[in-house]
Amino acid sequence: MKDFHIEQQTRDNVQLVKLTGSLDMYSFPRLEGQLSAMFQQGHHRVVLDCRDLDYIGSAGLGALIGFAKEAREKGGDVKLLNVPERIYKIIELLGFTKVLQVHDSEDRALKSFTT
Amino acid sequence: MYVEKKGLPLTEQNKGISVARTADQVYIRVVGRGTFQNSQPLRRYALETIEQGCRRFTVDVGSCPNMDSTFLGVLAGIGLRLRQDGPTSAGHITIANVSARNLDLLQTLGLDRLFIIEPHKGSGTTSLIPAGAELEKLPDSDVEALARPLDKNETTDLMLDAHNNLVRADERNAPKFSSVTKFLRETVERRRTPNDKK
Repeated sequence: MKDFHIEQQTRDNVQLVKLTGSLDMYSFPRLEGQLSAMFQQGHHRVVLDCRDLDYIGSAGLGALIGFAKEAREKGGDVKLLNVPERIYKIIELLGFTKVLQVHDSEDRALKSFTT
Repeated sequence: MYVEKKGLPLTEQNKGISVARTADQVYIRVVGRGTFQNSQPLRRYALETIEQGCRRFTVDVGSCPNMDSTFLGVLAGIGLRLRQDGPTSAGHITIANVSARNLDLLQTLGLDRLFIIEPHKGSGTTSLIPAGAELEKLPDSDVEALARPLDKNETTDLMLDAHNNLVRADERNAPKFSSVTKFLRETVERRRTPNDKK
């Protein structure tokens, strides 16, 4: 199991957050803290790059919906990028794709904030 | 049904949930992740054995690196169900071979007050298996090799029930899972009132 790791960079006024490892109840508070800090700084446009994510728990997904909703209220959003197929299947099965935007291209994810 | 011989090393072939039981005692071993994807067979088996009179459950998580909230909620549901029978029933769940990481999860959710927790003594041991009981693997309990796709409605119901159990076990869990329970509850309600187009 890979250690959970977060890397953040800014591109086109969007916070691009690369996630590595398992996003579970143990590691989620770290992402939660990072998202909360971004929101406090007024950054409500967030893309979570999940390419190297090997697991996401049900509670983590639920919490992301809460963050996405909060971001939308401030004119932003929290979107997912490069979601591995096995994780996408879970997200789709549970209906989370109806409330969380999922992109397969970084450019499209970034542009989606301006269209 | 696949039956494992005692003493086999914990390898890829026995990933998943294996069980062994006597008249009133159940041993459950989780190898690999415990998630909402393998919670349903565990829930079914536990409820069935409770109906048959089993009251003492041991869940060995020594080879389980991680449990998600649904899996823990299903365990909490079993614990709460055993507690329903009152203090004279002597029903309880022991979570055995608990790693520091899993202990942290259990404590964070307040489940250390519902379960008896035993620290990690090493994985692969068979000493916890009740004498005379054979270990057998529950079908579709290896999350990496599910034989059939999960049913959406069944999974949503299971997850909602599990997260409600976590809140019943400890009210401090309510804000932690408010987003996921709200989403799941709305999904279930939409399904029950299909003509209500929102």
